[in-house]
Amino acid sequence: MERKRKIITFILHIVLIIGAFVMVLPFLWMVLTALKTVSESTSMNPFVFFPKTMQWENFKIVIEQNDFIQLYFNTFAMMALRVFCAVLFSAMAAYAFARLEFPGKNFLFGLVLFQMMVPAQIFVVPQYLMVDKMGFRNTVFALVFPGLVSAFGTFLMRQFFMGLPKELEESARLDGCNIWQTFWKVMLPLTRSGLVALGIFTALFSFKDLMWPLIVNSNSDAATLSSALAKISSAYSVNYPQLMAAAVLAVWPMMLIYMVFQKQFIEGIATSGGKL
Amino acid sequence: MRRDYRRIFGKEWNTVKKVSKKTRNEWYWGWFMVAPTILGLIVLNIIPIFQTLYLSFFKSGAFGKGNIFVGLDNYKRMLSDGQVWHAVKNTIEYTCMVVPVTIVIALLMAVALNGKLKGKGIYRTIYFVPMVAAPAAVTMVWKWLYNSQYGLINHVLNKLGMDSVNWIDDPRVALISISIIGIWSTIGYSMVLLLAGLQEIPRDYYEASDIDGASKVKQFFSITVPLVSPTLFFVLVTSIITAMQVFDVIYMMIDVTSPSYDSTVSLVYLFYNNSFKYSDKGYGSAIVMLLLMIIMVITVIQTKLQKKWVNYM
Amino acid sequence: MKKRLVSAFLCTVLISAMAAGCGNKNTSEQASNNGEENSGGEVTISYACWDSNQAKLLETVADEFEKENPNIKIDIQVNGWDDYWTGLEAAATGGSLPDTFWMHSNNIYYYGSNDQLLDLTDYIEKSDSVDLADYPEGLGQIYNIDGKQYAVPKDYDTIALWYNKTLFDEAKLSYPDETWTWDTLKDAAKKLTKDDGSQYGFCAGLHNQEGYYNFVYQNGGKIITDDKKSGYDDEKTVQGIEEYFSFVKDGLSPEIYDDQARAEAMQNGLCAMGLFGSWNLSGFAETEFMTKNFDCAVLPSANDGTRSTIFNGLGNAISATTEHPDEAWKWVEYLSSKEGQERQAELGTAISAYNGTADKFAEAYPMFNTKCYIDMVDYAQIRPYSNQTSVWEDKAYEILKGAYAGKEDTKAACEKTAKMMNEALGAE
Repeated sequence: MERKRKIITFILHIVLIIGAFVMVLPFLWMVLTALKTVSESTSMNPFVFFPKTMQWENFKIVIEQNDFIQLYFNTFAMMALRVFCAVLFSAMAAYAFARLEFPGKNFLFGLVLFQMMVPAQIFVVPQYLMVDKMGFRNTVFALVFPGLVSAFGTFLMRQFFMGLPKELEESARLDGCNIWQTFWKVMLPLTRSGLVALGIFTALFSFKDLMWPLIVNSNSDAATLSSALAKISSAYSVNYPQLMAAAVLAVWPMMLIYMVFQKQFIEGIATSGGKL
Repeated sequence: MRRDYRRIFGKEWNTVKKVSKKTRNEWYWGWFMVAPTILGLIVLNIIPIFQTLYLSFFKSGAFGKGNIFVGLDNYKRMLSDGQVWHAVKNTIEYTCMVVPVTIVIALLMAVALNGKLKGKGIYRTIYFVPMVAAPAAVTMVWKWLYNSQYGLINHVLNKLGMDSVNWIDDPRVALISISIIGIWSTIGYSMVLLLAGLQEIPRDYYEASDIDGASKVKQFFSITVPLVSPTLFFVLVTSIITAMQVFDVIYMMIDVTSPSYDSTVSLVYLFYNNSFKYSDKGYGSAIVMLLLMIIMVITVIQTKLQKKWVNYM
Repeated sequence: MKKRLVSAFLCTVLISAMAAGCGNKNTSEQASNNGEENSGGEVTISYACWDSNQAKLLETVADEFEKENPNIKIDIQVNGWDDYWTGLEAAATGGSLPDTFWMHSNNIYYYGSNDQLLDLTDYIEKSDSVDLADYPEGLGQIYNIDGKQYAVPKDYDTIALWYNKTLFDEAKLSYPDETWTWDTLKDAAKKLTKDDGSQYGFCAGLHNQEGYYNFVYQNGGKIITDDKKSGYDDEKTVQGIEEYFSFVKDGLSPEIYDDQARAEAMQNGLCAMGLFGSWNLSGFAETEFMTKNFDCAVLPSANDGTRSTIFNGLGNAISATTEHPDEAWKWVEYLSSKEGQERQAELGTAISAYNGTADKFAEAYPMFNTKCYIDMVDYAQIRPYSNQTSVWEDKAYEILKGAYAGKEDTKAACEKTAKMMNEALGAE
């Protein structure tokens, strides 16, 4: 029995390692390329896997030519505000949709689903016109604007609330909590893993948003990392190493954030959930 | 008769006259709690959607001025436009390739990583890594891996004695290449959500079934799948919607000059080209409406079917 | 419990205040972007463009302009080609175009005829330093709609033949020069092609401006006729396209569809020759491999000696809704003056349009035979355009790519293209 188990674990590890290799391969390639010379990067005869000497200079040039501090600031300010709004508003709406009864509920939830079905590209011009009318172009607010509320978040959190046992809530209500208290004190903490997941996804989606920041914030000092990266990619069209260096610089903070938070939301619930 | 009435207006209206103070209180809280989200959605999204619908009946003038009403002309043109049908086919094919593969792999992965495996933290991080990459970087690096002359993938294939594949420009292969990127970049999304869902399953369920002597495979189908089904349902619905709206990667990878353009162009890509490149907003809007209708039908079917397999507490 | 509720509300308020705060900080900036004067009497003029290589050099020009005009600040905004036009369209719809921006022949009619651009006719007439007669004929004409001038030429570009000197030396061939014809090109391409597919003589990517258009005009054909009809059904046009496509059919060129892939095919030694526009120079000059191994020459002539290259240019335009037309004009006037044009040429931004200033551009890239680009102006043909060029240009690619890959007859494909194009032109 023990032996069989060990073999299964071993096979599992092999499969996971192969999978992991496939997942990271493009990133390894990105980092390796960032450290090559231009000729090494496009040479095919011989095919170059590792650079002869590490070209750290590529990073230096990219950093000198772009104000990464400003880009990090813009990106993180945008992400923080979007995460806050999306998590708060979505959780509130989701709880109402999951557990309260009120006239118009199904119709309003229909609106939420409906929004998700429409490709984001159609909102770019109308939302641009709104931001423009308010005079907020080239500001952090403009970056946050389309993410003030989140249909995705509302739907996600609704699923999490619906997965929670009803008894918890009923006992809280019997203890004299009103609706808001039940939501805020009892139910919300229980969906912590969902909240963290939503936070991470909101952060990621806003990080990856490309067309909106490109168009609404045309000033280069109001750009985000990903819109700046798209601009850089048109500038260095034949210089892959510098391009990849910029990509590495744009990606690492997000990886760090995920590593910090993944433990939070995956292992967090096991301790808080079981007790209640 | 009465039943139908109930179904249409919801049971709330039926009891409007005798609502207690408590019920009314619940209504107010309900409205209050959804208000920010609903107001935001109406201003940011719902109004623009109706503007788009409106525009689809017009031959659009330049810069939003001088639109000419043409009735259903844009829709008629769409029906006889071969490229639109290519795009419908490509979009559905892409979805059918990406969604099932992603979800199956992600679910197995999530179950494996939810256990007591050594190094699971590292695996979780690695499988999620593709999610954090900016789209410009992702496309760039894959385009390069796929490069038919000196891409890494073909280099390895050649070393193994196989022929090079024209990953991007071969019309028969291009959509598969794009789907691989799609799967690669969304496994992390599904996996993380499913992991979060698995966390909510009380451990004692498994312990009880361990005592009963149930096998792991049986546990997977009788405990894990039913209990994670609300999350699974969410993942399925959102994955399908996202896949149907595929745009970024195709847009950055396949140019209109490419021979695989016809076999990869998606509905959103067509919409983008018509609306922004050719300044034909009316026709672009009609294409988006077609996509919207397809997605709506699929989503409605899914919500109807969820009662059959999704298990809410 | 009420406290919790209150604190939640406070948070919300706080956040919106924060958002507004960020906004406010930048609103003053924004206002000045729109050209409103603030206390210092300073006006900011925004200048949008799509080439970040050039933008870096234009910053220098702007700094010098600001020194001369201390009350005007120039704010340069860059976006990639596609996003530039998407953004410009959104801005035009909202009535908030940048004060000054680049214009291209593909889009001038759309913007000009819809009252988005400031009519510069009077400004030019009154100006001491700008006279359209100082620019190559035809360049200024691109931006003229019904007698109104909507932009001043900024630069021009032509197409040249690039070749890998190292590969030529290996094959013991003499470098391309002005004596080359289609036949010489083909012979050389044959000698430079290796049977194992590791090296091709020529890079004939599917591209119009940096590709078959040049061959069409060298052969005396036309893409668009003077009375705005398609030229694709012209016998000579078809021959030109057939000649260009024949490199792929004869195995002398790889099939390449992607823009970037064409440059890459040169860089890694896959192709020995290729056609590239002058806007690539600043990028090529930064790449050590290119400066070491490559040089450029005038395009070969057709076998009967007819020469041609595709010629296009950008213009500087001013928004019709700018609040400071006079300051915006000052900037455009400076960019268009002999002095400003010389400065741009020296820095190597692009080939300045002003007659006689182009030689300075050649000096900016001494490592290549840059002058060949300028030599070709005498017989260059303006890139074909109509009111909605991109519509038929894209569809032409779609129809022609089968013939390019050798799967269809080129003549039949050209006839199909002509039919499509005439329909598109009729609908404009």
